[in-house]
Amino acid sequence: MAVISTPAKRATVSAEVADKAILVVDDIVKRFETPDGILTAVDHVSFAVTPGEFVSVIGPSGCGKSTLFNVIGGLIDGYEGSVSVAGERLSGPHASIGMIFQEESTFPWRTVIDNVAFPLELAGLPKAERYERARHFVALVGLAGFERRYPAELSGGMRQRVSMARTLAASPKIMLMDEPFAALDEQTRLLLGDKVLQIQQELKQTTLLITHNITEAVQLSDRVLVMTYRPGKLKRAVEINLPRPRTSEIVSSEAFGRYVAQIWGDLREEASRGLLDDEKHKLEHHQ
Amino acid sequence: MNSFAALAKTRWLPAALGIGSIVVVIAVVEGLIRLGPWPFGYPLINRFIVPMPSEIFLAFPRIVVEENVLSRFMLTISEALSASILVAVFGVAGGVLLHRFALLRQATETWVAAIAAAPLVLIYPLYLVIFGRSATTIVMMGFTAGVAPTVLKTLEGLAGTRRVLINVGRSFNLTRSQQFWKILFPSALPTIFVGLRLGLIFALINIVGVEFLINFGGLGQLINELSERYDLAGTYAAICFVVLVSICIFVLMERLERWLRPGE
Amino acid sequence: MTATAGVPRRGFVRPVTALRVGIIVAVLATWELVAASGLLYRDVVPSLAAIAVALYKTLSDPTFYFHLATTGYEIGFALVIGGVSGLAVGMVLGASKLMARAYEAYLYYLGPTPKIIFFPVMIMWFGVGAGSKIAMGAVSCFFPIALNVAAGMREIDPVLIRVGNSFRANAWQMVTKIYLPAMRYPVINGLRIGLGVALIGTLLAETKLSNRGIGFLVIQAYSLFNMPQMYSLLIVLFVISIGANALIGRLGGLDDIKRS
Repeated sequence: MAVISTPAKRATVSAEVADKAILVVDDIVKRFETPDGILTAVDHVSFAVTPGEFVSVIGPSGCGKSTLFNVIGGLIDGYEGSVSVAGERLSGPHASIGMIFQEESTFPWRTVIDNVAFPLELAGLPKAERYERARHFVALVGLAGFERRYPAELSGGMRQRVSMARTLAASPKIMLMDEPFAALDEQTRLLLGDKVLQIQQELKQTTLLITHNITEAVQLSDRVLVMTYRPGKLKRAVEINLPRPRTSEIVSSEAFGRYVAQIWGDLREEASRGLLDDEKHKLEHHQ
Repeated sequence: MNSFAALAKTRWLPAALGIGSIVVVIAVVEGLIRLGPWPFGYPLINRFIVPMPSEIFLAFPRIVVEENVLSRFMLTISEALSASILVAVFGVAGGVLLHRFALLRQATETWVAAIAAAPLVLIYPLYLVIFGRSATTIVMMGFTAGVAPTVLKTLEGLAGTRRVLINVGRSFNLTRSQQFWKILFPSALPTIFVGLRLGLIFALINIVGVEFLINFGGLGQLINELSERYDLAGTYAAICFVVLVSICIFVLMERLERWLRPGE
Repeated sequence: MTATAGVPRRGFVRPVTALRVGIIVAVLATWELVAASGLLYRDVVPSLAAIAVALYKTLSDPTFYFHLATTGYEIGFALVIGGVSGLAVGMVLGASKLMARAYEAYLYYLGPTPKIIFFPVMIMWFGVGAGSKIAMGAVSCFFPIALNVAAGMREIDPVLIRVGNSFRANAWQMVTKIYLPAMRYPVINGLRIGLGVALIGTLLAETKLSNRGIGFLVIQAYSLFNMPQMYSLLIVLFVISIGANALIGRLGGLDDIKRS
C-alpha cells in the first residue's frame, strides 16, 4: 500500500495502486514566476489515497504543501500532472473534495445552522430537510445547542468546527484540510484533533491533512508523507502502524515516540535548509 | 485618574454630565441675557442677537402651529427619501459595476473619488435652470451629492471580501452569480451601510441647504423665511427643530441597520 | 521589484488609458451634440468652444484672482479655527472615556446636520462680511475633524503612550511627539473631509449673501444667465478643490499607504 516517490526520476503511481485508490495525485509539478526567477513549489509529487484512509502531508514552512493543497482542491491550475478522484480527472473544484482552510472561514452573517446548511442549500434541498441534515452535522462536531448562534459569539475552535461541519454536510468523498488547527491554542488543537479522529472513524471519511505538526500527523494518520523543502518533493512515506482508537496511552507510548523521532529526523534537515534559505533571501533583499 | 475611570464606567454619570452641562450652559446664557447692561454698561450677550433660551422654547409651539411645520417636515423628508432611494440604487449598482469590470474600475475609481471630494453643491443653479424651482431640483441635488461616496464604499466593501471566503465559494464550485449573492454581497453589507449613511448625510446637507438657498421646499425654506422676517426666536427654534429631525433620521438609520444585520 | 504584475504592455497603449480617453471623448462628444441640437434650453448646455472662451476670459481677468483669494483665505481661516478646535476637542474625547461617553454622541449626531441652517445666526453674530463665511466653514469642518481625531486617539497603540509616560513627557510633549505622529492618518483623513465640508459651507454662504468670493461669482453668473461663465468657474473650482484634496493626502503620505 505504501508508495514512495524517488526524487530524481519521474515517478508515478502504478496502475494497480490507482485501481484501489480513491484519490490519485499523479506527477504534479507546479511552478511560479516570481521577480527572483522561476520557483518550483511542487516537484513531481505522486501518491494515492485509498478509501477511508487518513493521510497527512507534513513538511517545513515554504515547502509547497499549501500549493499542493490548492492544486488538489482545484483552486490553482497551470500545473503539470493530474489529480483524479475515483478515476475521474479533476479540472477545478470538485464536489467530491471538501476543503477546510487554515484561516477563519465561517460566514459571519449566517448562523451556525445556516453555515452548515450552506452546501445543502446549494444542492437545492427544501428548508426542513436542509435543517434536519445540518443539525446532524452540527451535533457531530459537538456544537448541538449552538445552532442559532452567530460565529462572532463563538470561540476560534468552535468556528473551525462549524467550518468542518459545513464541509462534512456536503458529504464529500475526500476531506482536504490545510493546517486547520494552526490558528488555535495547543489545548483546543488537541481536543479538536480527537474530535476529527472520532468523526473520521465514524464516517470512514477519507482524509488528507496538510500540517507542520508532527505529533498531530502521527496521532491522526494511517500514513504520513514527508515533503522536502522547496522544490517540494516527497521525501518519505511512513506507515503508522498504531492501533485505533489512538488513546492518550498510545500517544505517550514508545512506539509513538519513535515515529515522531523518525519523521523529525527527516524534517529537521529540510527545515534547516529552509531557514538558511530564508536568511539568505532576506539579506539579499535588504541591500 | 483612577476615580475618573471608575466614574466613567457608571451608567448614569456620563449621560448626566453631558445633559447636565448643556442645561448649565443654557441657564448661563439665559442669565447673561437677562442681566442686560448690568453690570458692565453693555450687555454681555445682546438679546437682539441671541434670544433668550426661554423665548426660543416658547417659540416652538408657535412655529409648529403657525408655520405648518408638519407639512414642511413631510416635504423635506419625502425629498430626502427620494434622493436616498436614488442614491441607494445607483450608488450600490455603480459600486457593483466597478467591482465586476476591473478595467472600468482601474480607469474610473480615482475620478469617482475626485467627484466625491468636490463641492458639487454649486451645481444647484444649473439644476434650477433645468428643473425649475421645484422639488425635483432639490432631489436631484441630493442624489448628485450622495451617489459618489456610496459607489466608493460599495466598491470598498466588495473588494475587501476576505480571500478565504471567496475560496470557500470556489471550493463549492459556485457560479458567478451565486458567488456574488451568497458571499461577496453579504460580506460587503456592513461597508455598504456605511456608504449609504455617508450618502444620506451628503444628500441631506445638500437638500436642506438648497431649500434654504432657493427659498423653496420644507424645513430649509422655513429657516430662511423666519430669518428674513427677523423672527429671531423663531429662527433659532426652527434651527433646533431641524437639528432634532436630523438626529432622529440617523438614529433611525442605525436602528434599521442593526435590525437588518443581527449577527454583528 | 521590477516586474509589474497585472496589465502587460501590449502594443502601443495600455487598456486603462485607452478606456479613460474613450470615456472622456464620449462625454465631450455627447455634450457637444446636445449643445448643438438645442435639446435642452439652449444655454444650459453651451458649446465646448463657448466654455473654453469663458474659461480663458476668467483666468485672464485680474478681479477673478481677487475673488479667488477671498474665498481662499476664508477657507484657510476656517480650516485653522475648525481644525485646531477639532483637534483639541477630539484629543480630549479620545483620551478620556468619561468625556467621550458624555459628549461624543452629540458630535456624532450633530455632524450630519446641514450646517447652512446656522448661517442666519452666523450673520447676526459675525456680520455680513468674511466673518460669517469663515464661521460657516469653521463650524462645518469642526465636526468631522473632532470625530476622526477622537477615533484616531483610541486606535493609538497603548504601548506608545506608556513609552511616553515612562519618559515622563509633559502634556505638550506627549501631544507633539507621541499623539500627533501616531495619529497622522486619521488626522489627515479628517482634514480632507473637513476641507470638503468647509468648502461647501463657505461657498454656500457666499452664494447666499456676499459680494465677493467664488460663490458670489457663481451666483452672479447665474443671475446674469451667463452659463459659459458659470461653467468656467465651476471647472476652476473643482480642479482646485480636487487638487487641494490630493495635496493634503499626498502630504500626509496617504498614497504610500495605498501602494503598499
